[in-house]
Amino acid sequence: MQNCGCAQQNPMVQNCHQQYNLENMPLAMAYVPWQHFHQVYEPDKALSYGTIFPELNKPFLGKRGVLR
Amino acid sequence: MMTNQNQMERYKLYQWIHMVSFAVNDITLYLDTHPEDQEAMEYFNHFKELRMQALNEYACQYGPLTIDTASPQGKWLWSTQPMPWEGGCF
Repeated sequence: MQNCGCAQQNPMVQNCHQQYNLENMPLAMAYVPWQHFHQVYEPDKALSYGTIFPELNKPFLGKRGVLR
Repeated sequence: MMTNQNQMERYKLYQWIHMVSFAVNDITLYLDTHPEDQEAMEYFNHFKELRMQALNEYACQYGPLTIDTASPQGKWLWSTQPMPWEGGCF
């Protein structure tokens, strides 16, 4: 299953199996990439966003019952 | 009576306490899963310090928000001041 299809969505990725070395990983398991400490928000922005980490700032942008 | 200006000062300090407390809380969650991260620990120490200073300053000027910043002199403000839900801290 060399061609996993993710290359179509992201041309930079030739084959995600090689890049992320997923061959020996069991199927249907979720993987959470490890977080590293980089930039953080200033305290006022962090409080309003609900996180000090920009990479975790994921506001819900959809609306009820509507495809975004 | 609290002047408007003083009320503004008190509110700003109160907001600052919220901000630094949130930062301490969020970095604690990160450190729970990254117990070796030195940079994160520095961040924690920095904001823990800011938080303690802010809490102590608030307690000294307006009364304790937390029991560990209560330092009673002659009157036990902790239970005699209006509670937050009685409009004690806005």
